[in-house]
Amino acid sequence: MDLTALGAAIAAFTGIGAGIGIGIATAKAVDAVARQPEADGKIMKLLILGCALAEATAIYGFVVAIMIKFA
Amino acid sequence: MDIGGLLNELLLEDKVMIHFDFMNGFFDINKSVVVTWGVMAVLTLFLLWLTSGMKVHNISTKQLVAEAIVDGLRGITGGMLGEEGIAYRDYMAVVLVFIGASNLVGLFGLTPATMDLNVTVALALMSIVLVEGAGIHHKGVRGWLKSFTAPLWLITPINILEIAIKPLSLCMRLFGNIIGATVIMELLKMAVPVIVPAAFSIYFDIFDGLIQAYVFVFLSSLYIKEAIE
Repeated sequence: MDLTALGAAIAAFTGIGAGIGIGIATAKAVDAVARQPEADGKIMKLLILGCALAEATAIYGFVVAIMIKFA
Repeated sequence: MDIGGLLNELLLEDKVMIHFDFMNGFFDINKSVVVTWGVMAVLTLFLLWLTSGMKVHNISTKQLVAEAIVDGLRGITGGMLGEEGIAYRDYMAVVLVFIGASNLVGLFGLTPATMDLNVTVALALMSIVLVEGAGIHHKGVRGWLKSFTAPLWLITPINILEIAIKPLSLCMRLFGNIIGATVIMELLKMAVPVIVPAAFSIYFDIFDGLIQAYVFVFLSSLYIKEAIE
C-alpha cells in the first residue's frame, strides 16, 4: 500500500494551526482598531507581521507536502 | 482532468533554458534567471525614462511622479528600519521593488522568478549577510560577538542557530507562497477556464505577491533593526 499521499495529507494539517492563529490575530486587531481608530497604521503593520509569521507554518506544511509527493 | 500530470509539469519541469558546453563540464542558465533579466531590463528602462531630463526648477509631471515614488518607497522602508538603520533604506526599497515585480510577472503568463528556490535562497542570503554585516559595522566585532549572549548566556546556541533559521524561513516563506499561489491558479484555470480565474488572480497574483514582497522586506528590516540596536 502506498502511504505517501497520506503523509502529504497529514502535512497539510498545519493549515489548522495557521488558520486559528491568523483568526485570533485578526479578531484582536479588529478589537484594537475599534477601540483606537487613530492607531490603525501601527496595528495594521503588526497584524501583517503576525499573519506572516503564523502563515509561515502553513507554508512549511505545504512545502513538506510537496516534497513528500514529488521529491 | 489530469491533476497529477499538471502538478508534475509545474513542479518537475526542466528549469534549464540555455545550455552551454564548457570545456569538460557544462554551464546552464535557468528560466528563472532569464525572467529575472527581463524584470531587470523592464525596471531599468522604465527608471531611465522616468529619470531622464531632471531639473531643479519648473519640474515636469514625470519628475514629480519619480519623486513621489522615491519618497514613498523611502518612507515605507525608512519607517521599518527606524532612525539608526536609515542608511539601509535604499537597498530595502530596491529589494521590495524587485520582489514585487518578480511576483507580478505571473500576470503575464510567465512563471515568477521567485518560484525557483535558487532565487529566493539568493535573496535570503543577501539579507542575512547584510544583517550580520550591519551588526558588525555598528557594534564592532567584539560587540557583535557579545550580542550572541544577549539576554542570557544560556541561550547562545539558539542565537547561533538563528543565523541559519532566519534566511531559511525568509526564503521558504517567499517560495512556498508563490508556488502555492501558482499551483492554485493553475488548478483553477483547469477547472473553470473563463472569468473565475480572473477574479482569483487579483488575490493570488497581485495582492499575495505584493504582500509577500512587503513581508520579506519587513522581516529583513526587523532583523537589521535588531542587529544594530
